[in-house]
Amino acid sequence: MNSEEFLMRCPRLGGEAPLTYCLQEAGDLPCQRIVACWQAFFPVEAHLRRVLPPQKWEQFAGRKPKEKIASLLELVEEAKGRCR
Amino acid sequence: MEQRKVVLADSEIPKQWYNILSDMPTPMNPPLHPGTGKPVGPEDLAPIFPMNLIEQEVATDRWIDIPEPVLEKYLLWRPTPLCRALNFEKALGAPVRIYYKYEGASAPGSHKPNTAIAQAYYNKAFGIKRLSTETGAGQWGSALSMACAMFGLELRVFMVKISFEQKPYRRLMMAAWGTECIPSPSDRTNAGRKILAEHPDSPGSLGIAISEAIEDAVGNEDSRYSLGSVLNHVLLHQTVIGLEAQKQLAQIGVYPDVVMGCAGGGSNFAGISLPFVRDKINGKKVSVVAAEPASCPTLTRGPFAYDFGDTAMTTPLLPMYTLGHDFVPESIHAGGLRYHGMAPIVSHLVKEGIVEARAYDQIETFTAGVQWARTEGVIPAPETNHVIAAVVQEAERAKQEGKEKVILFNFSGHGIIDLSAYDAFLSGKLTQHKLSDEEIQRALKSIENFPKL
Repeated sequence: MNSEEFLMRCPRLGGEAPLTYCLQEAGDLPCQRIVACWQAFFPVEAHLRRVLPPQKWEQFAGRKPKEKIASLLELVEEAKGRCR
Repeated sequence: MEQRKVVLADSEIPKQWYNILSDMPTPMNPPLHPGTGKPVGPEDLAPIFPMNLIEQEVATDRWIDIPEPVLEKYLLWRPTPLCRALNFEKALGAPVRIYYKYEGASAPGSHKPNTAIAQAYYNKAFGIKRLSTETGAGQWGSALSMACAMFGLELRVFMVKISFEQKPYRRLMMAAWGTECIPSPSDRTNAGRKILAEHPDSPGSLGIAISEAIEDAVGNEDSRYSLGSVLNHVLLHQTVIGLEAQKQLAQIGVYPDVVMGCAGGGSNFAGISLPFVRDKINGKKVSVVAAEPASCPTLTRGPFAYDFGDTAMTTPLLPMYTLGHDFVPESIHAGGLRYHGMAPIVSHLVKEGIVEARAYDQIETFTAGVQWARTEGVIPAPETNHVIAAVVQEAERAKQEGKEKVILFNFSGHGIIDLSAYDAFLSGKLTQHKLSDEEIQRALKSIENFPKL
């Protein structure tokens, strides 16, 4: 972590995280909470619109929240596929 | 001298958990399988949970017996004291009486063992040898570590690498309890190896850690996965908190006007509140408030944050919007309850108007937590600070309204292992103001080589 970076208390991790972490929290996409967490302090939405390819931006902005059980079952199916 | 605390005898510990599903005024829609679109059945969950816990997940009995081996372990720190925050009351100068359940009394320092102990027991009883789970900063991982040690289960915890490197103490606690704590992404799973191959310096994420923990459990007949929040059976186990509180308050002839808890995934909030929600459903006048995190109050306090778009709560608030370059759905802006993995039971109660959700930003929560520490002594866990901020706000309302109020809240854990969070707050590293142009440029520079954008 860059010592000069500002930190945000991450409600998902239960710890502090820098912006760089939030930008890659979902693999090749930013964390879904990044705008809610950072927009008041940093124009993160404008930044993402500028740097994300249009397809990635739409993917980011179009993600739907899932029920926990449903997301667990998706992960189970993915894990079964990887273990075959 | 005023009474400071109410302590139950060991023999007075509740012998049953309370299941809110039996009293919901409107039924909750069952979760749907993402593959088939049909309601999820027990067999769908069998690869990751033992059948005895799956039965609890879908149970509709009002009361569920707490097994004797679980009670024996609970008695190591339960019943927890119900305390009166007289010093804090004095500092606030409001017409309120503040009572709190001190869940920091457990060995890991939080409410999490209430379900960790139960889950370890049920897995052991089902013949499971090893559990796996994920953890962020380690609150859940450490609680499950202690529980598994007590029931002779092996445990693997996939800890998000950024936390693994920043937060050594909880992983050391896990090691002391005999757990194998692995930084995620790891080379233990196909999911982890794929991430490492593409991004060797990945700091990990909760999503990656969950994938690894589930992969670690799936395919091993004697292994299962464990989750510390959100699910119905987790909330069920936590109700021991509120049930104890009801007994303790009854002993001193007090009933709260307001019951409060912080709500991340919903388990500690549910633990203190669900027995009182039952009272409310049956006509008792009591407010129930969930205090959730909001780094950005101007966004999350908008009315849309809790305005569910559908009864199943599975779609974005405004799903009909077409994505474009001038529009970001509210689901992206709103940090509200449904957007960070809130328990369906709690979301449903908010939607029904039985529970009120309020959001508090990180600076007001730490400010409240420091005030608490300087009056009541105990340094609260950062999550607990959310509900303390809510208590401060409620006391202010009471002062303005000139009404006396009794507030009950769940002190979900102490913050002794989270002092780095206090350091970030007290040293000004926790972002608390709109960044200047210079600071923005510096932030942008720090991410200019960011590989994935």
